Amino acid sequence: MAIKLGGEFEVARKPDDVFDFLTDPNKYGPLLPDFQSMSVQDATHFTVKVNVGISYIKGVAEVKMELTEADRPTRAQYKGQGSVAGGNVSLIAGFDLSATVAGTKVAWQGEAQIFGRLTSVAGGLLEPLGKKNVQKMIDALQGALKQDSEPASIAPALSPQPSEP
Amino acid sequence: MSTKTESKNWVGQSLPRKEEDRLLRGRGKFADDVKLREMLYLRFVRSPYAHAKIVSIDTSAAEALPGVVCTLTGKEIEPYTQPFIEIAPEPGGKIRDFPLAISKVRYQGEPVVAVAAESPSLADDAAELVQVEYEALDPVVDGEEALTDRSILHEEAGTNKIWRGVFEYGDVEKAFKEAAHVVSIDRLHFHRFSSTPLENNVVIGQWDRKDERIHYWCNNSFPSFAIQFLAGHLNVHIDRIRVETFDIGGSFGIKITSYPQMSICALASKKAGGRPVKWVETRSEHMTSSAHGNERTFRDTRVALDKDGVITAIASRHIDDCGAYPRYEPLGCVIWSQVFPGVYRFKNARIDFSQAVTNKCPVGPNRGYSRMQHLWFLERLVDICAHELGIPADEMRLRNYIRPEEMPYTTPNGCVYDSGNYPKMMEVAKSLIGWDEWKKKQEAARKEGRLLGIGIGTTLDSGTNNFGQSQIINPGAPFSGNSQGANCKLDIYGEVVVAVGSCPQGQGHETTSAQVVADVLNISPDMITVRTGFDTDRNVHTGFSGTYASQFAVSGLSAVHGAAQKLKGEMKRLAAFVLVSKEDDIEFGSGAQGPELRSKSNGKSINYWGLANIVNVNSAVLPEELYEITLNCRYIWRAPFAVPDKVKKYGKLTLTYASQLHIAVVEIEQGTYIPRILDYVAVDDCGTVINPGIVEGQVYGATAHGIGAALLESCVYDAVGNMLTSTFSDYTPITAVNMPKVKYGHIETRSPFTYSGAKGMGEGGAAPVHTISAALQDAVFSKGIIIQDSFNNADTMFRALEGKEIYQAGPLVKVEHRA
Repeated sequence: MAIKLGGEFEVARKPDDVFDFLTDPNKYGPLLPDFQSMSVQDATHFTVKVNVGISYIKGVAEVKMELTEADRPTRAQYKGQGSVAGGNVSLIAGFDLSATVAGTKVAWQGEAQIFGRLTSVAGGLLEPLGKKNVQKMIDALQGALKQDSEPASIAPALSPQPSEP
Repeated sequence: MSTKTESKNWVGQSLPRKEEDRLLRGRGKFADDVKLREMLYLRFVRSPYAHAKIVSIDTSAAEALPGVVCTLTGKEIEPYTQPFIEIAPEPGGKIRDFPLAISKVRYQGEPVVAVAAESPSLADDAAELVQVEYEALDPVVDGEEALTDRSILHEEAGTNKIWRGVFEYGDVEKAFKEAAHVVSIDRLHFHRFSSTPLENNVVIGQWDRKDERIHYWCNNSFPSFAIQFLAGHLNVHIDRIRVETFDIGGSFGIKITSYPQMSICALASKKAGGRPVKWVETRSEHMTSSAHGNERTFRDTRVALDKDGVITAIASRHIDDCGAYPRYEPLGCVIWSQVFPGVYRFKNARIDFSQAVTNKCPVGPNRGYSRMQHLWFLERLVDICAHELGIPADEMRLRNYIRPEEMPYTTPNGCVYDSGNYPKMMEVAKSLIGWDEWKKKQEAARKEGRLLGIGIGTTLDSGTNNFGQSQIINPGAPFSGNSQGANCKLDIYGEVVVAVGSCPQGQGHETTSAQVVADVLNISPDMITVRTGFDTDRNVHTGFSGTYASQFAVSGLSAVHGAAQKLKGEMKRLAAFVLVSKEDDIEFGSGAQGPELRSKSNGKSINYWGLANIVNVNSAVLPEELYEITLNCRYIWRAPFAVPDKVKKYGKLTLTYASQLHIAVVEIEQGTYIPRILDYVAVDDCGTVINPGIVEGQVYGATAHGIGAALLESCVYDAVGNMLTSTFSDYTPITAVNMPKVKYGHIETRSPFTYSGAKGMGEGGAAPVHTISAALQDAVFSKGIIIQDSFNNADTMFRALEGKEIYQAGPLVKVEHRA
């Protein structure tokens, strides 16, 4: 099952600042929906644990993330792969940055491929849930970029959130 | 005690089923009822991906869990086993199929790891601890796309095309050249659905290390086929495999292909030191990974017709999707040709048939296997042509039907239809449904803007395969003909005991076998014990024994009849000696001391106990010339088949052809677009009816199955191979709640090819799928819509009527009228 989403927003930060933020696992990782914890392997690899819950299927998904593209200051892309009881997920999150008068326009694309029994027992719920969670991540990203403070202080305010629709 | 109507045989009477008492009181014995000492429970870790490489498997956490006895992986079993036999020649024959995935997975739900533990819940918990890392590959979920080899499933085969063959008969080009009308249909599609037996697959396997014998207690419905696959795979002599089956809660063909799970239970047992290992399939496992019915796409179809709408030729290209592994395939690539022209008289045809593997659950024989797809295709052609040419659907069929006076009828590919009277069936069906009244109601409904259609579906249920057709697929295949075994004996105390090589799943074999033997011995069926279930150690099976392909009334009962006749001969000979009489004077019947044999000439009699006593425990009185009498008679019935012509694809592929004609009145509900069945008739002809009650029950069952398939049941996959209908909430199998009232009728045209005149039945040829498609076509043709799929529910009707993106007649159908 594929869920594809995209959109754009503007923030009052320079493209370089936005790029630095997006490509720093310590800043980006906690923005993932229902973030629980993370461990950073190196500058481009980290593993994040997020709460997952759809109806009676509840658990923790461990998602291995890799920063696969980093073209300062115009583009960043992450690829991730994770598993949870009943399913596996592959995801791609890409960000294209361009300078504007007020700061930076962030054009984002997200794609998740979900595999496994999860899709058949909860297939109808996954798409709206996926959309909601991606929107939550973008909202959190916008919020974090607007603030001057380090995103580490933002993360606790963002998670954990119940993920049931 | 059952009573026989004066001057009538037991065969033909609607006796209550002998099985009923046991089953209705909950005293049936099923495979899951088998509990053995030190039994372990098996759980599979299954692939979440439709297509992926296996990067790594870590079973250490599962093995460390207390109560877990062993795990198995594909890599672990590969050195000790052979890949399962492939029926296909190369390239399909190169496929290496093992019961656990080795280096890659090819469908969602494919078993990757097996865990055996002391309890089912421990096995569940342990399975969740197994870590499998995958690298996702590009999946292919469409048969046509698979043929492009964009993403190859089996690298060793080098292609996804498992088999291709062209079936051509008559002079197709000439027929098209001379046609008055040519109708071209771009694409038709028969959807993937399955069976949902009440009882899922169950296997208990024990590899006894003391005598190196494997014992299975299971509900496989074609065990003699399974052991042929398992013996080579497990590197054991076939005699070292014992299979026992019991009462089976439905199979519909789907349980034929449980041999991979049988393999794993045996291998786990071996690893566990010979402890028995039980696997009970969950419903979701059954839906995702047991077996589905074949999905088929029909492309570039052309139909030639004369000025009266008589079909003179068809040409088409068919693509069959067999899922990830061809486990009973590619037999389906030839089995459809048992009904090559359906019930129609055209002589010229060319079908270019291909089969592809896709990243979906492997297919298996499913009630109406392979033939229903083709019969649906033919019925769509007839129906579309009728509408396009403005010929009423009933009239169109009558102009094209094979006529009763042409029976036995040889088809263009050499099959011989034994008997049938399709016009008569239509007459009975029209009378039962009130055809003329419904036509008037339809006219009135149309004036009100309601979409109400009346559809006819005529279909064939070919029974008793000639397995020689496998040589059309693979000239090197070692199968031909068909046979079935039975044993009939007088036990030591004179009890009549019958054993057959079938494994009934609700077809009433216990009752019908007793009816046949009762007629031979002139006693009541109540006096006969029929051993049900299959057991290799009873030694009554052949390589074709099992229950499948609408054949028991022919193969099973012919074997039972033969064994009973053999026993009767021995009894008569023995009685003549004991009663000092001529054999011709010996009569069979019942007396004061139960069933007996009596001499007409001197009035002396001996009961069965007395007769059995002489052979078994009082044998010193026997003269030497009677030593060969055992009163334990094994008979193997062989079907009268020759090997078909492999090059011309010509020959008798099946022995009998039961037929069904259904009529449905369907209305597409305004607002909801739900197709509602307003009236339904099913007329059946299976030749001589052995037990009318059982036949009627089978007709209702097959009708329910087909209505479910037509309107409710579809195996849906998304673009990456996730099965979206793995629960009953999504698959929505038909139940009594949404089953319409069915009016039943029957005619009898005796088969000249069977001793009793009976024809195998029970599959129903998916008649409701054809019939409901035809009724919906009738309802929406005026809207410019063509029914091009066999599955039609509210959603497809909404898209057809409101979206029309793929249903418009214009792009799908072109009609060329010639002067």
